Amino acid sequence: MAHRIGRRKNVKKGFQFTLMVVGASGLGRTTFINTLCDADVVPKRECDEPEMAHVEEPIKIKPYTVELDEDGVKISLTVVDTPGFGDMIDNEYCFQEILGYLERQYDDILSEESRIKRNPRFRDNRVHALLYFITPTGHSLREIDLELMKRLSPRINVIPVIGKADTFTPTELADFKKRVMEDIEHHNIPIYNFPYDPEEDDEETVEENSELRSLLPFALIGCEEEIMVNGRKVRGRQYPWGIVEVDNTQHCDFAKLRFALLSSHLQDLKEITHDYLYENYRTEKLSRSAENLSD
Amino acid sequence: MVSTQAGAGIGIANLPNQRHAIASKKGSNYTILLCGESGLGKTTFINTLFTTAIKTPKSYKRRFNNNTAEKTVEIEIIRAELEEKQFGVKLSVVDTPGFGDYTNNRDSWMPIIDFIDDQHESYMRQDQQPQRQELSDMRVHCCLYFIRPTGHTLKPLDIEVMKRLGTRVNLIPVIAKADTLTPTDLHKFKKRILEVIAAQNIQCYTFPLESDDESSTKRNMNIMAAMPFSVIGSTDDVLTSDGRTVKGRQYSWGVAEVENEDHCDFKKLRQLLIRTHMLDLIHSTEETHYENYRRSQMETRKIGEAKVKTVTNPKWKEEEEALRKRFTEQVRLEENRFRSWEQQLIAERDRLNKDLEAEHSHIKALEAELESMQVGLSPKTRK
Repeated sequence: MAHRIGRRKNVKKGFQFTLMVVGASGLGRTTFINTLCDADVVPKRECDEPEMAHVEEPIKIKPYTVELDEDGVKISLTVVDTPGFGDMIDNEYCFQEILGYLERQYDDILSEESRIKRNPRFRDNRVHALLYFITPTGHSLREIDLELMKRLSPRINVIPVIGKADTFTPTELADFKKRVMEDIEHHNIPIYNFPYDPEEDDEETVEENSELRSLLPFALIGCEEEIMVNGRKVRGRQYPWGIVEVDNTQHCDFAKLRFALLSSHLQDLKEITHDYLYENYRTEKLSRSAENLSD
Repeated sequence: MVSTQAGAGIGIANLPNQRHAIASKKGSNYTILLCGESGLGKTTFINTLFTTAIKTPKSYKRRFNNNTAEKTVEIEIIRAELEEKQFGVKLSVVDTPGFGDYTNNRDSWMPIIDFIDDQHESYMRQDQQPQRQELSDMRVHCCLYFIRPTGHTLKPLDIEVMKRLGTRVNLIPVIAKADTLTPTDLHKFKKRILEVIAAQNIQCYTFPLESDDESSTKRNMNIMAAMPFSVIGSTDDVLTSDGRTVKGRQYSWGVAEVENEDHCDFKKLRQLLIRTHMLDLIHSTEETHYENYRRSQMETRKIGEAKVKTVTNPKWKEEEEALRKRFTEQVRLEENRFRSWEQQLIAERDRLNKDLEAEHSHIKALEAELESMQVGLSPKTRK
C-alpha cells in the first residue's frame, strides 16, 4: 500500500534499484540479466583456452548500471553479477566474498550518516535484492544452495529462482518447487516471500502477494534472440520439438518476476533493506564496537 | 600355411560356432560405472537404456534425517540379471552419490578411483590363488561421465576427475539433460568439450573404426563423431503431436523424444554400450586396463604380497601437519622452560657459591684473627 503512494510521488524523479545475481555458471545468469534489461548489458562469457580450462577462477563481483523505462517510469538499475560462484573445486571462499561486498556498502552508508557534513549527492550502493539461481537438479536443494541462502539472508532480501527451467516438464517443475520450499522451511531460511498481512492489507494486495508467493522459486528461461512464431516476433529458444517463449507465462515465470522486481515490489524491497536489514546490521556493528571499547 | 580345400572341409571353420555355444551358456559380466553430480539423470538413463527399472529413483522423505556431516562420496552397486534370447548378462551398475554435491569437492574422486583400482586388485589376487575357477569379476568395463549442460565448457572438477578415470577405465563422456540445449548451442558445446579433452590429455574410449563391411565402418564413424553423446532419458510413454506414442518428455511446447536421432544421441550410445561394442568394452578392460594395472603392480610387488597401502589421503596429511606443528610447538615451549629453569639454577648456584666464598673468606679472616690472637697469647702461656 505504502509503496503505491510512494510511486505516484516519485514518478517524475525515477527510481534507483540494485539487484545482485548469484548462481553457478551455466545456469543462464548472464542471459537473464540481458533479457531483463532487453539489452546486451553483460558480455557473454568467453571460454578461455582449452589448455587453461583446468585453472580455477575465483569469484568476481561486477556491477553494471543501465537506465530503464518501465511504462514511463525511469529506473536506474544496477545489476551486480558474480561470475565464478561455485566454479571451483573448493567453494568455501565464495560466501565470504559476497557477504563482504554487501557489508561494505552498509559500512559506507553508516560512515556517511555519521558525518557532520553529509554529502547530498552520496550514491547509495546498497543491494536491495539477491536472485539466487538454483541448479535444476530435479531433486532438492544442494549444500551450497542452503549455505549461501542461510548466510546471506540476514543481510539481503534473497529471492530463489530456478535457472534453465526449460529442463523440466510441468509436473517435474511443480514437484521441484514444492521440495525446494520444503527445504527452505525446514532449514528456517528467511527468504523474501512477498509479505502481506491478511488483516491489514486490502484484498488486491493479499491476492497479488499470495500469488507471487506461490510461484516461488521462480522458474526462469532466458533468451536474447528473437525468432518468428506464427508471424510474430518473440524472444524464445528454438528446439527441434518446439519453441519456448520467454514472455509466455505458461512457459515460465520470467514476466511475473520482472514485474514484481521493477514495478510492484521495488519499493517494498528497498524499504525492507533500509528499515530492517540495514538497521539490524547497524545495531550489530555499533554494539560490537561498543563492546570493544568497554573491554 | 596349409589351407584345406573347399567342399566338405574338415570342420575347422566350425570353431566360431562352438565358441558361440560356450559363450552363450556362460553368459557375461558387465559392469558400468555412472559418474557425475546428482540430478543429471543418471538413474533415469540406466532405466531407459535397459528398458526396465534397474534402479529406483531417489527417495526424498529421508533427506531431512540425513545429517551429512560425513560429506563423502559413496559407492552404490546395483546388480541385475538380464536375459535376452537365452543369453544372460550379469549386469552391475555402480553409482557414485555425493560426487560433486558439496561446497568443497576437493579429492571427492578418491573413493571412485580407489574402487576401480580395487576391482583390478581383487581380480589379480583371485587369479593368483591355487583355485581360480569361481572368479568374481567386478572390473569396471565402462565409465559414463555425465557432464552438466552448461553450454560453456568443462569445469575444473570435471577435468580433474576425467583425467584420472581415463587412464584406468574406458571413459565415455556424456552430455546429460541435453534437452536444455538448442541444436546450435549443443554443437558448440560438443566442440568445446572435445577441444578441452584434447588439450588436457584426457583419454576417452576409442575403438577401431575399420571393419569388414562398409556399413559397419560407416556406422562406427557415425558413432565416434557424435562423442560426447547428448542424452535425454525417459521411461514414460508420451503422445507426440503427430499421434505417435514414444518414450519422451512432454513439455508445454512439444515432446522431446528419446529415440529420435535429431533430438539426442541416445540411440548411438545404446548401440555403443550394448549392440555393437559391448564385447570391445569388456575386452579392452581385460586386455588393456587390467594389464596396465597388473604390470605396474608386478613391477614392484612379488606374487601374493599385499598391496602397500600408501596413506596419501590429503585430509590426513593436513592433520599430520597440524599435529606435527603442535608437537614442535610443545617441544619448543618445554625446551624454553627447561632452559630458563637451568639458567635460574645456575644463577642460584653462583649466588650460593658466592655466599659460600664470602662465608669462607669470613671464616678465614676469623681464623687469622684467632691465630693472631692466639699468637699474641701463646708466647705467655707457652713459656
